[in-house]
Amino acid sequence: MAEEPQSSTVHDGASDAPAPTGSAEDRKAAAALSALDAQDDEASSKKNVDTKALGEAMKNLSVDEKGKFGGEEKKKVVKVDAQDVSLLVAELELSKVKATELLRAHDGDAVKAMAAFVSTPA
Amino acid sequence: MQPLQSKENSLFRSLVKFYESKQYKKGLKAADQILRKVPNHGDTQAMKALILNSQGQSDEAFDLARQALKNDMKSHVCWHVYGLLYRSQKNYEEAAKAYKFALRIEPDSQNILRDLALLQVQMRDYQGYIQSRKQMLQVRASLRQNWTALAVAHHLAGEYKSAEHILKTYEDTLKTPPPKTDLEHSEAALYKNTIISESGDTERALEHLEEILKNNLDRTSVLELRAKYLLELGKNKEAEQAYRKLLGRNSEYRAYFDGLEKALGLARSDQVSHEELLALYDSYAEKNNRNDASRRIPLDFLQGDAFRTAADKYLRRMLNKGVPSLFPNIKSVYEDPAKKAIVEDLVLGYASEKKMNGSAQGEVNGDASDNFEKSVLYFLAQHYNYHLSRDLQKAVGYINRLIKMDPKFPAYHQTKARIYKHYGDTKTAADIINHARELDPKDRYINTKCAKYQLRNNENDVALSTMSKFTRNETAGGPLGDLHDMQCMWYLLEDGEAYLRQHNLGLALKRFTTISDIFDIWYDDQFDFHSFSLRKGQIRAYVDMIRWEDHLRDHPFFSRAAISAVKIYLMLADNPELTTPGNKPEFGNLDPVERKKAMKKARKEHERLEKAEAEKKAAAAKKPTATGADGEPKKEDPDPRGLKLIQTKEPLEMSLKFLRPLLEFSPKNIEAQNLGFEVHFRRKKYLLALKCLLAAQALDPENPIAHEQAIRFHQALPDIKDNPPKVSQVFKQVFDMFKSGTDLKAANSTWLEKNPQSPPHLLSAYHVRFLLDDSIKATNESDIQKLLDLPSITIEQAAAAFDYLNEWKSSEKVKNEYREAAAKKWPEATVFQVN
Repeated sequence: MAEEPQSSTVHDGASDAPAPTGSAEDRKAAAALSALDAQDDEASSKKNVDTKALGEAMKNLSVDEKGKFGGEEKKKVVKVDAQDVSLLVAELELSKVKATELLRAHDGDAVKAMAAFVSTPA
Repeated sequence: MQPLQSKENSLFRSLVKFYESKQYKKGLKAADQILRKVPNHGDTQAMKALILNSQGQSDEAFDLARQALKNDMKSHVCWHVYGLLYRSQKNYEEAAKAYKFALRIEPDSQNILRDLALLQVQMRDYQGYIQSRKQMLQVRASLRQNWTALAVAHHLAGEYKSAEHILKTYEDTLKTPPPKTDLEHSEAALYKNTIISESGDTERALEHLEEILKNNLDRTSVLELRAKYLLELGKNKEAEQAYRKLLGRNSEYRAYFDGLEKALGLARSDQVSHEELLALYDSYAEKNNRNDASRRIPLDFLQGDAFRTAADKYLRRMLNKGVPSLFPNIKSVYEDPAKKAIVEDLVLGYASEKKMNGSAQGEVNGDASDNFEKSVLYFLAQHYNYHLSRDLQKAVGYINRLIKMDPKFPAYHQTKARIYKHYGDTKTAADIINHARELDPKDRYINTKCAKYQLRNNENDVALSTMSKFTRNETAGGPLGDLHDMQCMWYLLEDGEAYLRQHNLGLALKRFTTISDIFDIWYDDQFDFHSFSLRKGQIRAYVDMIRWEDHLRDHPFFSRAAISAVKIYLMLADNPELTTPGNKPEFGNLDPVERKKAMKKARKEHERLEKAEAEKKAAAAKKPTATGADGEPKKEDPDPRGLKLIQTKEPLEMSLKFLRPLLEFSPKNIEAQNLGFEVHFRRKKYLLALKCLLAAQALDPENPIAHEQAIRFHQALPDIKDNPPKVSQVFKQVFDMFKSGTDLKAANSTWLEKNPQSPPHLLSAYHVRFLLDDSIKATNESDIQKLLDLPSITIEQAAAAFDYLNEWKSSEKVKNEYREAAAKKWPEATVFQVN
């Protein structure tokens, strides 16, 4: 681990901006501050907005990539034995969803699925 | 909805207002007034529950909220409040459910929708977040942040195209381009640029960047991104110019030099380009007399005589100036033994040069030459203290000369303390650094160092009083409470480790648990930023933060605390008697009579402590109630010494709280994998144990602990009869040793012969030998003594060997012999001394 070298012009203890203390108190203060301007952003943004254009734009919201991330295309039909699922849940401490996924990925073969899980480093 | 009469209705409205303005007392009064008229009014009960919860009475609040729901199942207020209560308990899933119920009743409520959206992004339910954000946008499309938020939702879900599309759609609706000073717009433009770049389309990212380049307010980011894109696209000529421009702005930033090197096609690993590289850095050095980077970087790639010349120049310059951080700045080149030798040679040369110059000139030159000599000696002291070039005796010699010259300079004493730390003499180290601290009591740095050294010397109370010189001591819990409030993790960690060394498992575990809690707090803290960052328009920083939170627990502080905590839980699982306060592991080896005596003594000590604590408490009770940093009264810690923590009935299950994130976020940490095996092996989750074992072997095929564990696993397998057949099949498939039916003893001897010089490997081989046949104990005991003669053995390894003697239940005589031999080898080291 190498220390990042400092420029020779910098001296320890030279005046610097005081470090933020980050106490609970400060966080409270920050929260209060943010609450203050919660109201005014509405007014400021109104000026430059073309309401009509926005209305038009709203219609085009959902254009692309519909269904692309739904993951429907690659769903193979694999029968998964409920007993295998609970075996995986018990032995590997996975969630039911994860266990089913794992089994599906290995054609419902519990031994293969578990062997793969055990031998792939996390 | 239960309708109210007009008087009550206005009362209800003021009740809501009182809650929002935190006038809880007035709120409660109003609520009670309504309830007197309409005792079963759900909405009012719900609001009252909310106020109670804010006052810290969460149990009563939950009861009341449930009652409210019973009275008015169809009220969105009741469901919303129910969700809010769950959210304050950090039960996000239940909260989300309640919000969704509320939304079903009142689909257009902005407040509920917003609360749900915040929960969804906190829980990383990105698809849900997209839906909520879309709805919010539809209700209020005029607000720019609603558009940005939807884009962020798509972006986080990995849907770059949609994210970009949303941002673009909004931009297209603007009548006139926003003014240059519009920070939100400037940030949104750069955010859009990062999305394009992350989607992999660097070319388009560059195009877009050129469009926004001129007016963007974040000049540095724009220029950096541009240089990066140009380089990625292979436009080296332009990239070179871009990096030169950046270096004109900041010529100490290494990344710019890296970029410039790449743009010029110069590789540090290629000897041929060294000349050109050197010329490049020289040109920057000439430009600026005070520039460090251009002078220091060449030392990283130059070799041989060229390195000697450059290093000589650099070292002389810095030593003449008396830069105290010179050694830390140089030490990274020590990885190359040749360079280490050259630096050593050079600096020793300066030292003798100085002597040759003698005192005659010293008079004339006065301070300057004196400074040069001090700098040289200080460099040498640090050089011989560094682990790659260690010769502690020489280091002490140099530092003592320095201290004689300038007895009042804290840094010299600090280095001396550090040298003694490396001797293993924690006691002397702590004394010396305390002396350094007294030389400058107002220096927080040296004060902190001092506390750390005291903790290393197991002086928890002394360290706390040292820390108290810089803490707010009037807060609840005194200095320690303040250190908790400030989340001073290094202290809590070192404090815990010191307690662990003293076998005070309760307090040790308590500190480690605190570390884990602090990480929880950090994770929860992001909640406020989901709305705050959007409002401020700082989107890029927000996305960075979200990604950082996702791997928060790979932080080294978490790993260290988690590893120690899991070790404690393992000790508790193996020795249930440790949960009795005052019991110590070494009692197990005493004969029954002595053990009883020792236990009795320990119990007395325990009672004394309890009494002292009770007195302290009584004294504290007399004072007005202590308040925390946030001005609210602090709850008293019901378990200040961690006794309840260690009295757990199921230590292994408890350890999972630390182990799971450890394995998930630091899978490359071999110690974590080793511990994972131990825990799962004891829990009889053999597949999970095997996973850890295999992972450890993959990280380091020669890992001694994994060797030990493999043999133990193999030994245990025939005994595991109740395994489901499918599980046994898996063992056969993935575990080599099981398949071939190897002769374990033979395997162990091969392993032993493979690493005849490495103490940890030998130790694990001895231990396996013992596991396979415990009649070998005597041989092992004499072999372990011989380990001390190995040239490479370190103090830590020797101390680890001692633990094995404990595990083999060796006699006190054998242990003492070993301890004495070790103490002879390291006379300074505190660990081997009998206290």
